[in-house]
Amino acid sequence: MSDAAARTKGGFRRGLAAIKGMDAFELALRPTLVDLLLRPVGGWTVRPFTLALAALGLLAPGLLRAPVLWLGLTVLTGARVVLDWPLPDNHAYLLFYWCLAVTLSLTLTPGGPGKTLSLNARLLIGLVFAFSVLWKLALSPDFMNGTFFGVTMLADPRFEGFTRVAGGLSAEGYDALREFVLGAAVPYGAADVPEIPPRLAALSHFLTYWTITIEGGVAVFFLLPARLAASKLRDYLLVIFCVTTYAVANVDGFGWLLLAMGAAQAGEGRGEKEKNRVRLLYVAAFLLVIFYRYYTFSRLL
Amino acid sequence: MYKTGLYACVRCLPVVLLVVLALSQIYLVKTTSLSPWAGGGFGMFSTPDAPRSRVVRAYVLTPGVRREVEIPGSLADAALRAAAMPTDPRLRALALEIARVPTPETAPPRAVVVEVWRMEYDPETLAPSPRIVKSLEAPVE
Repeated sequence: MSDAAARTKGGFRRGLAAIKGMDAFELALRPTLVDLLLRPVGGWTVRPFTLALAALGLLAPGLLRAPVLWLGLTVLTGARVVLDWPLPDNHAYLLFYWCLAVTLSLTLTPGGPGKTLSLNARLLIGLVFAFSVLWKLALSPDFMNGTFFGVTMLADPRFEGFTRVAGGLSAEGYDALREFVLGAAVPYGAADVPEIPPRLAALSHFLTYWTITIEGGVAVFFLLPARLAASKLRDYLLVIFCVTTYAVANVDGFGWLLLAMGAAQAGEGRGEKEKNRVRLLYVAAFLLVIFYRYYTFSRLL
Repeated sequence: MYKTGLYACVRCLPVVLLVVLALSQIYLVKTTSLSPWAGGGFGMFSTPDAPRSRVVRAYVLTPGVRREVEIPGSLADAALRAAAMPTDPRLRALALEIARVPTPETAPPRAVVVEVWRMEYDPETLAPSPRIVKSLEAPVE
Protein backbone atom coordinates (compact mmCIF):
# COMPACT_ATOMS: atom_id res chain seq x y z
CA MET A 1 0.00 0.00 0.00
CA SER A 2 1.39 3.41 -0.96
CA ASP A 3 2.05 6.10 1.64
CA ALA A 4 -0.84 8.26 0.40
CA ALA A 5 -3.28 5.35 0.51
CA ALA A 6 -2.19 4.46 4.03
CA ARG A 7 -2.61 8.06 5.16
CA THR A 8 -6.07 8.25 3.57
CA LYS A 9 -7.11 5.01 5.26
CA GLY A 10 -5.76 6.30 8.58
CA GLY A 11 -7.66 9.57 8.17
CA PHE A 12 -10.88 7.70 7.38
CA ARG A 13 -10.45 5.51 10.47
CA ARG A 14 -9.85 8.55 12.65
CA GLY A 15 -13.03 10.13 11.23
CA LEU A 16 -15.05 7.04 12.09
CA ALA A 17 -13.51 6.90 15.55
CA ALA A 18 -14.39 10.57 16.12
CA ILE A 19 -18.05 9.91 15.25
CA LYS A 20 -18.13 6.81 17.44
CA GLY A 21 -16.50 8.75 20.27
CA MET A 22 -19.12 11.53 20.25
CA ASP A 23 -21.86 11.18 22.80
CA ALA A 24 -25.44 10.90 21.52
CA PHE A 25 -26.24 14.38 22.74
CA GLU A 26 -23.50 15.98 20.69
CA LEU A 27 -24.31 13.79 17.69
CA ALA A 28 -27.86 15.18 17.76
CA LEU A 29 -27.05 18.82 18.45
CA ARG A 30 -24.42 19.35 15.76
CA PRO A 31 -26.58 18.09 12.85
CA THR A 32 -29.47 20.21 14.16
CA LEU A 33 -27.31 23.32 13.93
CA VAL A 34 -26.01 22.27 10.49
CA ASP A 35 -29.66 21.85 9.41
CA LEU A 36 -30.44 25.37 10.62
CA LEU A 37 -27.50 26.77 8.67
CA LEU A 38 -28.20 24.87 5.46
CA ARG A 39 -31.94 25.51 5.45
CA PRO A 40 -32.46 28.77 7.34
CA VAL A 41 -35.94 29.35 8.70
CA GLY A 42 -38.27 32.33 9.00
CA GLY A 43 -38.31 35.85 7.56
CA TRP A 44 -35.99 38.76 8.23
CA THR A 45 -37.09 39.11 11.85
CA VAL A 46 -36.09 35.55 12.74
CA ARG A 47 -33.60 34.25 10.19
CA PRO A 48 -30.44 36.28 10.91
CA PHE A 49 -30.68 35.59 14.65
CA THR A 50 -31.25 31.87 14.07
CA LEU A 51 -28.27 31.72 11.73
CA ALA A 52 -26.06 33.61 14.18
CA LEU A 53 -26.96 31.30 17.08
CA ALA A 54 -26.48 28.16 14.98
CA ALA A 55 -23.09 29.39 13.76
CA LEU A 56 -22.05 30.30 17.32
CA GLY A 57 -23.01 26.85 18.56
CA LEU A 58 -20.79 25.20 15.97
CA LEU A 59 -17.88 27.64 16.12
CA ALA A 60 -17.58 27.85 19.91
CA PRO A 61 -17.54 24.30 21.32
CA GLY A 62 -18.37 25.60 24.80
CA LEU A 63 -21.66 27.03 23.56
CA LEU A 64 -22.94 23.84 21.96
CA ARG A 65 -24.45 22.76 25.27
CA ALA A 66 -25.30 26.23 26.58
CA PRO A 67 -28.99 26.33 27.63
CA VAL A 68 -29.20 30.02 26.71
CA LEU A 69 -28.27 29.25 23.09
CA TRP A 70 -31.00 26.63 22.80
CA LEU A 71 -33.50 28.80 24.63
CA GLY A 72 -32.80 31.47 22.01
CA LEU A 73 -33.35 28.98 19.21
CA THR A 74 -36.56 27.77 20.88
CA VAL A 75 -37.92 31.32 21.08
CA LEU A 76 -36.94 32.08 17.47
CA THR A 77 -38.30 28.87 15.95
CA GLY A 78 -41.48 29.29 18.02
CA ALA A 79 -41.82 32.91 16.89
CA ARG A 80 -41.49 31.78 13.30
CA VAL A 81 -44.42 29.38 13.73
CA VAL A 82 -46.55 32.08 15.34
CA LEU A 83 -45.66 34.84 12.86
CA ASP A 84 -46.28 32.68 9.79
CA TRP A 85 -49.31 30.80 11.15
CA PRO A 86 -51.08 28.88 9.59
CA LEU A 87 -48.63 28.55 6.71
CA PRO A 88 -45.45 26.96 8.16
CA ASP A 89 -44.67 23.43 7.03
CA ASN A 90 -44.85 20.57 9.49
CA HIS A 91 -41.12 20.54 10.08
CA ALA A 92 -41.24 24.16 11.31
CA TYR A 93 -43.34 22.91 14.23
CA LEU A 94 -41.10 19.90 14.74
CA LEU A 95 -38.00 22.11 14.79
CA PHE A 96 -39.58 24.23 17.53
CA TYR A 97 -40.53 21.15 19.61
CA TRP A 98 -37.02 19.80 19.14
CA CYS A 99 -35.26 23.01 20.23
CA LEU A 100 -37.57 23.09 23.26
CA ALA A 101 -36.65 19.47 24.04
CA VAL A 102 -32.94 20.31 23.90
CA THR A 103 -33.46 23.35 26.16
CA LEU A 104 -35.44 21.34 28.70
CA SER A 105 -32.88 18.52 28.64
CA LEU A 106 -30.05 20.96 29.36
CA THR A 107 -31.99 22.85 32.03
CA LEU A 108 -33.83 20.16 33.95
CA THR A 109 -31.13 17.50 34.02
CA PRO A 110 -27.76 19.21 33.99
CA GLY A 111 -26.00 16.05 35.21
CA GLY A 112 -27.22 13.82 32.39
CA PRO A 113 -29.39 15.51 29.78
CA GLY A 114 -29.14 12.56 27.35
CA LYS A 115 -32.06 10.61 28.80
CA THR A 116 -34.58 13.44 28.61
CA LEU A 117 -33.53 14.27 25.06
CA SER A 118 -33.60 10.62 24.02
CA LEU A 119 -37.12 10.15 25.43
CA ASN A 120 -38.40 13.28 23.69
CA ALA A 121 -36.74 12.30 20.41
CA ARG A 122 -38.29 8.84 20.41
CA LEU A 123 -41.79 10.06 21.29
CA LEU A 124 -41.70 13.04 18.93
CA ILE A 125 -40.63 10.90 15.96
CA GLY A 126 -43.18 8.21 16.81
CA LEU A 127 -46.01 10.74 17.13
CA VAL A 128 -45.09 12.68 13.98
CA PHE A 129 -45.35 9.47 11.99
CA ALA A 130 -48.47 8.33 13.87
CA PHE A 131 -50.32 11.56 12.99
CA SER A 132 -49.03 11.37 9.44
CA VAL A 133 -50.41 7.83 9.10
CA LEU A 134 -53.70 8.87 10.74
CA TRP A 135 -54.14 11.55 8.06
CA LYS A 136 -53.26 9.21 5.23
CA LEU A 137 -55.30 6.23 6.43
CA ALA A 138 -58.36 7.78 7.98
CA LEU A 139 -58.74 11.53 7.64
CA SER A 140 -57.86 12.19 4.01
CA PRO A 141 -60.10 10.61 1.37
CA ASP A 142 -57.43 11.19 -1.31
CA PHE A 143 -54.52 9.08 -0.14
CA MET A 144 -55.35 5.39 -0.05
CA ASN A 145 -57.11 5.45 -3.43
CA GLY A 146 -53.91 6.70 -5.09
CA THR A 147 -55.27 10.15 -5.96
CA PHE A 148 -52.68 12.03 -3.92
CA PHE A 149 -49.63 10.50 -5.59
CA GLY A 150 -51.32 10.45 -9.01
CA VAL A 151 -51.97 14.19 -8.82
CA THR A 152 -48.79 15.19 -6.99
CA MET A 153 -46.44 13.35 -9.37
CA LEU A 154 -47.91 15.45 -12.18
CA ALA A 155 -48.75 18.74 -10.52
CA ASP A 156 -45.75 19.26 -8.21
CA PRO A 157 -42.70 20.28 -10.29
CA ARG A 158 -40.38 18.81 -7.66
CA PHE A 159 -41.55 15.35 -8.73
CA GLU A 160 -41.13 15.88 -12.48
CA GLY A 161 -37.78 14.08 -12.88
CA PHE A 162 -38.89 11.08 -10.84
CA THR A 163 -42.31 10.92 -12.53
CA ARG A 164 -40.85 10.99 -16.01
CA VAL A 165 -38.07 8.45 -15.26
CA ALA A 166 -40.07 6.00 -13.14
CA GLY A 167 -43.37 6.57 -14.92
CA GLY A 168 -41.83 6.27 -18.39
CA LEU A 169 -43.29 9.57 -19.64
CA SER A 170 -41.99 11.71 -22.48
CA ALA A 171 -41.70 15.47 -21.95
CA GLU A 172 -44.79 16.05 -24.11
CA GLY A 173 -46.79 13.29 -22.37
CA TYR A 174 -45.87 14.70 -18.97
CA ASP A 175 -46.75 18.28 -19.95
CA ALA A 176 -50.14 17.24 -21.37
CA LEU A 177 -51.07 15.30 -18.22
CA ARG A 178 -49.78 18.09 -15.99
CA GLU A 179 -51.92 20.72 -17.72
CA PHE A 180 -54.95 18.46 -17.45
CA VAL A 181 -54.44 17.79 -13.75
CA LEU A 182 -53.86 21.48 -13.02
CA GLY A 183 -57.27 22.19 -14.49
CA ALA A 184 -56.12 24.17 -17.53
CA ALA A 185 -58.81 22.47 -19.62
CA VAL A 186 -61.69 22.97 -17.11
CA PRO A 187 -64.52 22.83 -18.15
CA TYR A 188 -63.75 19.82 -20.34
CA GLY A 189 -65.74 17.24 -22.23
CA ALA A 190 -65.46 13.46 -21.81
CA ALA A 191 -63.26 13.32 -24.92
CA ASP A 192 -60.72 15.67 -23.29
CA VAL A 193 -59.96 13.27 -20.45
CA PRO A 194 -56.60 11.65 -21.23
CA GLU A 195 -55.80 8.08 -20.25
CA ILE A 196 -53.47 7.78 -17.28
CA PRO A 197 -50.64 5.48 -18.45
CA PRO A 198 -50.88 2.10 -16.63
CA ARG A 199 -47.23 2.36 -15.50
CA LEU A 200 -47.92 5.74 -13.89
CA ALA A 201 -51.07 4.43 -12.20
CA ALA A 202 -49.17 1.39 -10.90
CA LEU A 203 -46.37 3.66 -9.66
CA SER A 204 -48.79 5.87 -7.73
CA HIS A 205 -50.36 2.81 -6.10
CA PHE A 206 -46.94 1.41 -5.21
CA LEU A 207 -45.89 4.73 -3.64
CA THR A 208 -49.16 4.87 -1.70
CA TYR A 209 -48.68 1.45 -0.11
CA TRP A 210 -44.92 1.86 0.38
CA THR A 211 -45.43 5.19 2.17
CA ILE A 212 -48.11 3.91 4.49
CA THR A 213 -46.06 0.79 5.29
CA ILE A 214 -42.78 2.55 6.05
CA GLU A 215 -44.42 5.43 7.95
CA GLY A 216 -46.60 3.02 9.92
CA GLY A 217 -43.51 0.93 10.72
CA VAL A 218 -41.58 3.97 11.99
CA ALA A 219 -44.55 5.05 14.14
CA VAL A 220 -45.08 1.62 15.72
CA PHE A 221 -41.43 0.81 16.41
CA PHE A 222 -40.58 4.27 17.78
CA LEU A 223 -43.55 4.15 20.14
CA LEU A 224 -42.72 0.64 21.40
CA PRO A 225 -40.96 0.63 24.79
CA ALA A 226 -37.19 0.71 24.16
CA ARG A 227 -36.69 -2.30 26.43
CA LEU A 228 -38.40 -4.57 23.87
CA ALA A 229 -35.97 -6.20 21.45
CA ALA A 230 -38.25 -5.44 18.48
CA SER A 231 -37.92 -1.71 19.11
CA LYS A 232 -34.31 -1.90 17.87
CA LEU A 233 -35.71 -2.01 14.35
CA ARG A 234 -36.84 1.61 14.68
CA ASP A 235 -33.59 3.24 13.61
CA TYR A 236 -33.21 1.10 10.51
CA LEU A 237 -36.78 1.94 9.47
CA LEU A 238 -36.23 5.67 9.99
CA VAL A 239 -33.01 5.59 7.96
CA ILE A 240 -34.77 3.61 5.18
CA PHE A 241 -37.60 6.18 5.24
CA CYS A 242 -35.19 9.10 4.91
CA VAL A 243 -32.96 7.63 2.19
CA THR A 244 -35.94 6.56 0.07
CA THR A 245 -38.37 9.43 0.66
CA TYR A 246 -35.99 12.36 0.28
CA ALA A 247 -34.52 10.93 -2.92
CA VAL A 248 -37.96 11.50 -4.46
CA ALA A 249 -39.44 14.38 -2.45
CA ASN A 250 -36.50 16.63 -1.71
CA VAL A 251 -37.43 18.16 1.61
CA ASP A 252 -33.90 17.80 2.94
CA GLY A 253 -34.39 20.12 5.93
CA PHE A 254 -37.05 17.78 7.32
CA GLY A 255 -34.87 14.73 6.57
CA TRP A 256 -31.87 16.18 8.42
CA LEU A 257 -34.02 17.11 11.40
CA LEU A 258 -35.46 13.58 11.65
CA LEU A 259 -31.97 12.08 11.38
CA ALA A 260 -30.59 14.42 14.07
CA MET A 261 -33.45 13.45 16.35
CA GLY A 262 -32.92 9.78 15.51
CA ALA A 263 -29.24 10.03 16.46
CA ALA A 264 -30.23 11.40 19.89
CA GLN A 265 -32.01 8.20 20.87
CA ALA A 266 -30.05 5.61 18.88
CA GLY A 267 -28.24 4.27 21.94
CA GLU A 268 -31.35 3.31 23.91
CA GLY A 269 -31.56 -0.44 24.51
CA ARG A 270 -28.34 -1.19 22.58
CA GLY A 271 -24.85 -2.51 23.26
CA GLU A 272 -21.76 -0.45 22.42
CA LYS A 273 -21.02 -2.14 19.08
CA GLU A 274 -24.54 -1.89 17.69
CA LYS A 275 -24.89 1.66 19.00
CA ASN A 276 -21.83 2.69 17.01
CA ARG A 277 -23.13 0.99 13.88
CA VAL A 278 -26.48 2.78 14.11
CA ARG A 279 -24.80 6.14 14.76
CA LEU A 280 -22.64 5.72 11.66
CA LEU A 281 -25.80 4.87 9.70
CA TYR A 282 -27.42 8.13 10.81
CA VAL A 283 -24.34 10.15 9.84
CA ALA A 284 -24.11 8.39 6.45
CA ALA A 285 -27.81 9.04 5.78
CA PHE A 286 -27.38 12.71 6.77
CA LEU A 287 -24.55 13.06 4.23
CA LEU A 288 -26.47 11.15 1.54
CA VAL A 289 -29.46 13.52 1.81
CA ILE A 290 -27.10 16.43 0.99
CA PHE A 291 -26.41 14.82 -2.39
CA TYR A 292 -30.10 14.32 -3.22
CA ARG A 293 -30.55 18.03 -3.97
CA TYR A 294 -27.86 17.97 -6.64
CA TYR A 295 -28.08 14.43 -8.07
CA THR A 296 -31.76 14.42 -8.93
CA PHE A 297 -33.83 12.17 -11.16
CA SER A 298 -33.97 15.04 -13.69
CA ARG A 299 -30.28 14.40 -14.43
CA LEU A 300 -31.23 10.98 -15.81
CA LEU A 301 -33.46 12.49 -18.51
CA MET B 1 -46.41 12.24 43.66
CA TYR B 2 -47.75 15.63 42.46
CA LYS B 3 -44.20 16.89 41.98
CA THR B 4 -43.19 13.76 40.03
CA GLY B 5 -46.18 14.10 37.69
CA LEU B 6 -45.49 17.77 37.12
CA TYR B 7 -41.82 17.04 36.44
CA ALA B 8 -42.76 14.37 33.89
CA CYS B 9 -45.14 16.84 32.16
CA VAL B 10 -42.48 19.56 31.98
CA ARG B 11 -39.87 17.04 30.85
CA CYS B 12 -42.13 15.94 28.00
CA LEU B 13 -43.60 19.38 27.25
CA PRO B 14 -42.59 19.18 23.55
CA VAL B 15 -44.52 15.92 23.22
CA VAL B 16 -47.56 17.38 24.98
CA LEU B 17 -47.47 20.44 22.69
CA LEU B 18 -47.20 18.26 19.59
CA VAL B 19 -50.27 16.23 20.55
CA VAL B 20 -52.36 19.28 21.56
CA LEU B 21 -51.52 21.21 18.39
CA ALA B 22 -51.99 18.23 16.10
CA LEU B 23 -55.42 17.47 17.59
CA SER B 24 -56.39 21.16 17.38
CA GLN B 25 -55.35 21.16 13.72
CA ILE B 26 -57.63 18.20 12.98
CA TYR B 27 -60.49 20.07 14.70
CA LEU B 28 -59.79 23.24 12.67
CA VAL B 29 -59.62 21.30 9.39
CA LYS B 30 -63.05 19.84 10.13
CA THR B 31 -64.64 23.07 11.36
CA THR B 32 -62.99 25.98 9.53
CA SER B 33 -61.78 24.39 6.28
CA LEU B 34 -58.12 24.80 7.30
CA SER B 35 -56.00 23.11 4.63
CA PRO B 36 -54.76 19.73 5.94
CA TRP B 37 -51.24 20.77 4.89
CA ALA B 38 -51.27 23.75 7.27
CA GLY B 39 -51.51 24.13 11.02
CA GLY B 40 -48.95 21.58 12.23
CA GLY B 41 -51.08 18.44 12.25
CA PHE B 42 -48.77 16.44 9.96
CA GLY B 43 -51.37 16.17 7.20
CA MET B 44 -48.92 17.25 4.49
CA PHE B 45 -48.51 14.79 1.65
CA SER B 46 -51.87 13.15 2.40
CA THR B 47 -54.04 15.17 0.01
CA PRO B 48 -53.55 17.50 -2.96
CA ASP B 49 -55.51 20.19 -1.03
CA ALA B 50 -52.48 22.36 -0.10
CA PRO B 51 -52.86 26.13 0.54
CA ARG B 52 -50.95 26.97 -2.66
CA SER B 53 -53.19 24.73 -4.75
CA ARG B 54 -56.28 26.60 -3.56
CA VAL B 55 -57.43 29.55 -5.65
CA VAL B 56 -58.80 32.84 -4.31
CA ARG B 57 -61.18 34.76 -6.58
CA ALA B 58 -62.49 38.23 -5.90
CA TYR B 59 -65.41 40.16 -7.41
CA VAL B 60 -66.11 43.84 -6.93
CA LEU B 61 -69.84 44.65 -6.92
CA THR B 62 -71.02 48.02 -8.12
CA PRO B 63 -74.68 48.77 -8.97
CA GLY B 64 -75.52 46.47 -11.90
CA VAL B 65 -71.95 45.14 -12.36
CA ARG B 66 -70.08 42.14 -10.89
CA ARG B 67 -66.45 42.41 -12.01
CA GLU B 68 -63.76 39.83 -11.26
CA VAL B 69 -60.53 41.55 -10.23
CA GLU B 70 -57.01 40.24 -10.13
CA ILE B 71 -55.60 40.13 -6.61
CA PRO B 72 -52.60 42.49 -6.54
CA GLY B 73 -49.17 41.15 -5.62
CA SER B 74 -49.15 43.25 -2.45
CA LEU B 75 -52.08 41.14 -1.17
CA ALA B 76 -50.59 37.77 -2.22
CA ASP B 77 -49.58 36.85 1.34
CA ALA B 78 -53.00 37.79 2.77
CA ALA B 79 -54.69 35.82 -0.02
CA LEU B 80 -52.51 32.76 0.68
CA ARG B 81 -53.35 32.90 4.39
CA ALA B 82 -57.04 33.26 3.52
CA ALA B 83 -56.74 30.26 1.19
CA ALA B 84 -55.05 28.19 3.91
CA MET B 85 -57.68 29.04 6.52
CA PRO B 86 -60.70 30.86 5.12
CA THR B 87 -62.22 32.29 8.29
CA ASP B 88 -64.77 35.13 8.07
CA PRO B 89 -62.46 37.79 9.59
CA ARG B 90 -59.64 36.82 7.22
CA LEU B 91 -61.87 36.89 4.12
CA ARG B 92 -63.51 40.16 5.22
CA ALA B 93 -60.14 41.87 5.77
CA LEU B 94 -58.98 40.69 2.35
CA ALA B 95 -62.21 41.87 0.74
CA LEU B 96 -61.85 45.36 2.21
CA GLU B 97 -58.29 45.59 0.88
CA ILE B 98 -59.48 44.44 -2.53
CA ALA B 99 -62.18 47.15 -2.51
CA ARG B 100 -59.35 49.67 -3.00
CA VAL B 101 -58.29 48.06 -6.29
CA PRO B 102 -59.29 50.42 -9.10
CA THR B 103 -61.94 49.19 -11.57
CA PRO B 104 -63.30 50.77 -14.78
CA GLU B 105 -66.59 51.55 -13.00
CA THR B 106 -67.06 55.11 -11.82
CA ALA B 107 -69.43 54.22 -9.00
CA PRO B 108 -67.79 53.22 -5.70
CA PRO B 109 -67.98 49.48 -4.87
CA ARG B 110 -71.04 48.37 -2.91
CA ALA B 111 -69.47 45.10 -1.77
CA VAL B 112 -66.65 42.66 -2.50
CA VAL B 113 -67.13 38.90 -2.82
CA VAL B 114 -64.15 36.69 -1.99
CA GLU B 115 -64.24 33.00 -2.89
CA VAL B 116 -61.79 30.24 -2.01
CA TRP B 117 -61.74 27.24 -4.36
CA ARG B 118 -59.98 23.91 -4.35
CA MET B 119 -59.72 21.04 -6.80
CA GLU B 120 -61.24 17.63 -6.28
CA TYR B 121 -60.01 14.74 -8.40
CA ASP B 122 -61.63 11.65 -9.86
CA PRO B 123 -59.62 8.74 -8.42
CA GLU B 124 -59.72 6.80 -11.73
CA THR B 125 -59.07 9.50 -14.34
CA LEU B 126 -57.58 12.25 -12.12
CA ALA B 127 -60.06 14.61 -13.82
CA PRO B 128 -60.15 17.81 -11.74
CA SER B 129 -63.38 19.50 -10.64
CA PRO B 130 -63.28 22.87 -8.89
CA ARG B 131 -65.19 22.99 -5.58
CA ILE B 132 -65.89 26.08 -3.54
CA VAL B 133 -64.44 25.97 -0.04
CA LYS B 134 -65.91 29.22 1.20
CA SER B 135 -67.46 32.43 -0.12
CA LEU B 136 -68.06 35.70 1.68
CA GLU B 137 -69.66 38.96 0.59
CA ALA B 138 -68.30 41.93 2.50
CA PRO B 139 -70.22 45.21 2.26
CA VAL B 140 -68.03 48.24 1.64
CA GLU B 141 -68.88 51.24 3.78
